[in-house]
Amino acid sequence: MSTTQTDVDKRDSDKSFRKLLGENPRPAAVWLGVLALLLALEIGRVFAGIDTLFAVIGFVVDLFAATPAAIGGNVAGTLGPAAGAVATVVFGFALAFAVSIPVSEYVPDATVDVLGLELSRRGHRWAKRVELASALVAVAALIAYTPVGGAFSAAIAAITGSVDALSSALPSLTSRELISNTGHRTPDGGWDDTFLGLSPAVAWAIRTGLVFAYATALLAWVWRGYETYRTHYRGADWTPTDDTVRRFRSNYWGLFGFAIVFIFVVLALWAPAVSPVEAEHNIYEPNANGFEYLDENGEVQEVNHVFANLDSRSDGQNTVGLLSYDDYDRWAPLGTTNRGQDMMTHLSYGARTSLTIGMTAIGLGAFVAVVLSLLSAYYKGITDIATVMTSDTIQAVPALLLIMLVSVVFQEADHPIAQPLDGGLLLALIFAFTLWPGMWRAIRGPSLQVSEQEWVDAAKSYGQTPLRTMQKHMAPYIAGYILIYASLLIGGVIISTAALTFLGLGINPPTPEWGRLIDGGRTYVATSSWHVATVPGIAIVLVVVAFNALGDAIRDAIDPEADVDEAEAATAGGGA
Amino acid sequence: MVEVRDLKTYYDSGSLLDNRPVKAVDGVSFDIRRGETLGLVGESGCGKTTLGRTLIQLEDATDGEIFFDGTDITEIRGDQLYEWRQNAQMVFQDPDSSLNDRMTVGEIVREPLDVHEWKTPAERRERVRDLLDKVGLEAEHYYRYPHQFSGGQRQRIGIARTLALNPEFIVLDEPVSALDVSVQAEIINLLEDLQDEFDLTYLFIAHDLSVVRHICDRVAVMYLGNIMEIGPTEELFTDPANPYTHALLSAIPKPDPTASRDRITLHGTPPNPRYPPSGCPFSTRCPARIRPDGYEELDDDLWDSLNSFREILRERMRAERSIRERLRERFGMETRFATMDDTYEELFGDVAVPDEVEEILTEVADTAGDHDEAEALDRFNQAFGSVCDGVGASGVDEGVKPAFHQVSESGRLSYCHRHESEYRETADVIEARN
Ligand code: SF4
Repeated sequence: MSTTQTDVDKRDSDKSFRKLLGENPRPAAVWLGVLALLLALEIGRVFAGIDTLFAVIGFVVDLFAATPAAIGGNVAGTLGPAAGAVATVVFGFALAFAVSIPVSEYVPDATVDVLGLELSRRGHRWAKRVELASALVAVAALIAYTPVGGAFSAAIAAITGSVDALSSALPSLTSRELISNTGHRTPDGGWDDTFLGLSPAVAWAIRTGLVFAYATALLAWVWRGYETYRTHYRGADWTPTDDTVRRFRSNYWGLFGFAIVFIFVVLALWAPAVSPVEAEHNIYEPNANGFEYLDENGEVQEVNHVFANLDSRSDGQNTVGLLSYDDYDRWAPLGTTNRGQDMMTHLSYGARTSLTIGMTAIGLGAFVAVVLSLLSAYYKGITDIATVMTSDTIQAVPALLLIMLVSVVFQEADHPIAQPLDGGLLLALIFAFTLWPGMWRAIRGPSLQVSEQEWVDAAKSYGQTPLRTMQKHMAPYIAGYILIYASLLIGGVIISTAALTFLGLGINPPTPEWGRLIDGGRTYVATSSWHVATVPGIAIVLVVVAFNALGDAIRDAIDPEADVDEAEAATAGGGA
Repeated sequence: MVEVRDLKTYYDSGSLLDNRPVKAVDGVSFDIRRGETLGLVGESGCGKTTLGRTLIQLEDATDGEIFFDGTDITEIRGDQLYEWRQNAQMVFQDPDSSLNDRMTVGEIVREPLDVHEWKTPAERRERVRDLLDKVGLEAEHYYRYPHQFSGGQRQRIGIARTLALNPEFIVLDEPVSALDVSVQAEIINLLEDLQDEFDLTYLFIAHDLSVVRHICDRVAVMYLGNIMEIGPTEELFTDPANPYTHALLSAIPKPDPTASRDRITLHGTPPNPRYPPSGCPFSTRCPARIRPDGYEELDDDLWDSLNSFREILRERMRAERSIRERLRERFGMETRFATMDDTYEELFGDVAVPDEVEEILTEVADTAGDHDEAEALDRFNQAFGSVCDGVGASGVDEGVKPAFHQVSESGRLSYCHRHESEYRETADVIEARN
């Protein structure tokens, strides 16, 4: 393996990323150029994405910002206003301090040196955290209690406002303005207002086709970026990740899973583009939005979605099936629901809901599980025992009961957490809370194992900090495991969400959710409206199976023994 | 340079019911001189790795001091400890486990430099290349992963990382025992070269005695958390003073078949380090154990049985019997403990026991049969105990420990009662009894 080259100039063997980039910038430039072009094609949606991101961040920040005051308020209620104020400050500071611990590493040391204190290395670290936390609290107080706050929120509003404006003003390749499929028949048999006068079906097919083509191109280009990096800018000729990728690429079951998951994600991300009617019009505000159609008398009429939906229900007597138009000439590629809404729209927005809930629940749960597993494996003893007891306690509570209880309590109180996605966020948080003990259990073994490795001792022996040791020497080894469990569990979360909604507990209308579709269509399975429950049913099965396949494939891919097994099998087979 | 004084490292058992600690290192004292290689040998489980880990503060000492250039490093914390860590490093035993597979060789060797913020990043990279060169690897291995190297090469990478911070003192924890015999010599030579080049001081932990004889200036022999003998290598190998050293050396195959030394077989296994013997740690298996007056001439087989009998008594004494077992016993049912009669029969059934010995033994067995093990042990010790078992002048177990006796001009020390003037020399005794 090692080459026997001897007289290598040391400077020539410097293959750091920066040096390689400086020597040969062309492939990187080309790649970035094409990426920019691809993004420019969908610039409107990029901004829409940023807009959503802002909204999410704003929501989370608001929630955290409101907590100290809320706790203070509670304390004030029992112990008096002074105690309440103290509680607000103390809790606010504790919160800020918790945030500052991971962040402080990236803050330059100079910020502490300004204080001119004679500090030990450890003292220095803590001083930096305290300083950062104080700064955070000061800023927060400034915003909350002084006129600065007004200016600040105005500035934020201006930024979000302009992003919002940009997202609607900038064009997108796949926007419904560019390729419109909403229009009405003309008396002479043609179509008005649609893209190039094509039928809505064709226009929709073009737009949806374009979405998938674009998404595939983007994915391919990202892959290409990885390959460019590998061939031109990576110092190492080989890394353990290469083997993992290679094993994954030759696993067809895993690739199938990946493909379905990819379609699912695209469906969710481009929901506005792949839905034949706007969700806002058709699902959320059918009263307020109308459209034009050609009535029997050959006249163009205006009608509200709510009335049109009433006439387009697939409820056993009436059916708007797959690949058909309803009576108002709205194109329904997957038919309509039992309430007359468009199935395709419902399905793609439902994918959004499922994905958001799944990702939030699994992301939070996995984060908690990983952090606790690192801590308990590194420090062992008391930390481990405490985590075992906590997780056992949580696992002892029947999850369904907890979900029913908590969601009813929060929804009755109309708590801000229960509002996003009509209870979806609340559901995701409850799932995260009930799922982390399981995930933690699953990765506890591997983390304990890696913490016993001599390289962890070695890191300690030259004075590496516990935090960095966990990051560098332990976390990479459990990342694979948590990925496996995350993808196996996300299917479970999606199915549970659907099941709860099916029971009427999870997500309330109007937020689209697959479980509600199945519930709505279950009585018509034997009728001509069979598609109402069947289509989302198949979709759920496919997605869950796909996530499981993905998880299995990751498991095989990260296991170096798989290669050995194959090689052995090959020799054994050859010998027989 | 390193002075260890009465160092103890205990592990908590972790069980709530029985909190007797495991006494991995139970009071050792020795010095390591600048520039020398001190070997540390002993059977596996004798505490030598724990001792090495305590010396570089990977384990906290339970008691005692470690002076490193005059500073007691068991006391220092935080920044001081962090600064001190540059001086003392360790080469680990298993090259598969000591290198993080997800990092390149360069990152691995660089990490200590990063942690100690040594100069600029570019200079760090440069130093890593130098180090790779020093340990016999190529500079372009910087961007390879440990997977791509053989065991010997991986150990070289580990050595490069150990050297990164320019330590003065290095603990080598069986650095070659996991390697192929063919590469062991290369690594040993590399370590010797590096020692010359950088004035390193080594603590070389091993159980391969021939390697120790080759590389070490002085050797310390460890048994059950104690140092039994410590002195210059050649002297200790050619003329061992301590009975345990005798036993250990007799296990090395002799190149010279005419050599007179016979192989000494040790009976049983080392005692549980949670319950070390109260006298000399080696007393349960010692081939030269001092026998009390009047019983010196008893048959060796009988003595073996007597020793086993004492061990059984000690074990019974510390075993906690559940109420259920006591009840079963009372009603004559079978328990997890063999009855005293069975034990007695098994031990002394086929050896000739002189009458006066038999008399005492029966008495002891009866007392033990009534569950008064403490009393039985006292009785036993009065008759058959010696200083080796911690029995003092009063005739009962007082936990008397041997002392270190200087056994040669060079200052070699041995931990054994045999060196006191009233007892015969170890070598003679072993000769006579074998
Ligand atoms: S003190 Fe007694 S038991 Fe210990 S080594 Fe010396 S002779 Fe053996």
